[in-house]
Amino acid sequence: MSGPAEPIQPAVARPSYDKKFGMVAYGLLFLAILSSTYLHHFQPQVLRVPSNTDVSTWKHPALQQTILWDGLTEEGKTTLLSKGVPLGDSIPALVFGDLFTIFLGWICFLHARRHYGFWMASCFLVGSFVFTGLEESLWILSGRFFGGMINNPLGEPVFGSYWFTRGGLWFLETPIVACLGWFFIAYSCVLTAGKAFPRMNLWGRATVGGLIAMTIDLWMDPIQTSPEIMAWVWGKGDFLLLFGIPHYNFIGWFLLIFLFAIFWEKLPGMEAGRGRHGATVRFFLIILIAAFAVLFLIWCWLYVFGAVLAGIGIESTIHVPKGW
Amino acid sequence: MWKKIWKNRLEFYPYLAIYLFWFMGAFLNSFQVRNRPGIVALGVVTIPSIALITLAAVRTFRELP
Repeated sequence: MSGPAEPIQPAVARPSYDKKFGMVAYGLLFLAILSSTYLHHFQPQVLRVPSNTDVSTWKHPALQQTILWDGLTEEGKTTLLSKGVPLGDSIPALVFGDLFTIFLGWICFLHARRHYGFWMASCFLVGSFVFTGLEESLWILSGRFFGGMINNPLGEPVFGSYWFTRGGLWFLETPIVACLGWFFIAYSCVLTAGKAFPRMNLWGRATVGGLIAMTIDLWMDPIQTSPEIMAWVWGKGDFLLLFGIPHYNFIGWFLLIFLFAIFWEKLPGMEAGRGRHGATVRFFLIILIAAFAVLFLIWCWLYVFGAVLAGIGIESTIHVPKGW
Repeated sequence: MWKKIWKNRLEFYPYLAIYLFWFMGAFLNSFQVRNRPGIVALGVVTIPSIALITLAAVRTFRELP
């Protein structure tokens, strides 16, 4: 393990490489957003995007197989069935959400560019965007296409994972609001950890950064998934719900920020050993592999932890606290 | 103090971003939620995070020339 932290030095500008890197990285990202947005809004049948207006058509999970359904009053159920997702087809709300998040992402990028240079700042922005967008989309699509096919270790069916209901621009099946949100949350939380605990090493900073973000989500997730807001919807299937949210969500929040902080802070070392191009290729390969590895790790955790709970006699989903 | 902050505003952007995210994504929206008694009070779990972000912002201010 490394010793107390040395602050990361800004990467020296290499205009010819940085310009090429910027054009390729942002160009590919732009194309991915453009095609994903087209698919999501204009060809929703391809990725089986759930309707925001007719919630009775939801499949994998069906409306009754979502955690949301259990929290609805009879009046709430009627309203949801007749009116659909709140603000689900409101274009001003989508535009405001996207622009506001782009603004927050942009100001964090300015900070990163001043302190770490264009290349490092862009690796953070594009890297975290792709890492989290791919990770979220893997969860969303695996739930949508394989939901209902397996049971959890307690023997209850896993009806699906989750999905986002609103978004103007999309990356795969994740709105850019979420991807850019991950960027500025990860950047701000790891920066905060370094500033609050200046003697802490990289692993400590990454841990504290992940915990700061996870704690904020512990409050935000139950709010954003409530019937009044419904920014995203969880399917039933997890055996441990914390404040009505599957517990693996919080493991995911911690892991994504913890791992990304480590990968990114290793960039200067990679550059010293392999040159800037080699470091860039290696960094993006690592995050692509890590997105699948995190999915696999959480599945392993779910089966081991679930088997332990089943072994001690737990027979149905645990709600902490009860009534949520 | 405000002049110094404004002059060096870029240094505070990450803290501003995470505050706004917390304030709009969680704090303001928590008042909209009716079917979960205690949802506003659940916000106490974020106090350590908000305290650390504030501490980091204060340290950043003190380190400014």
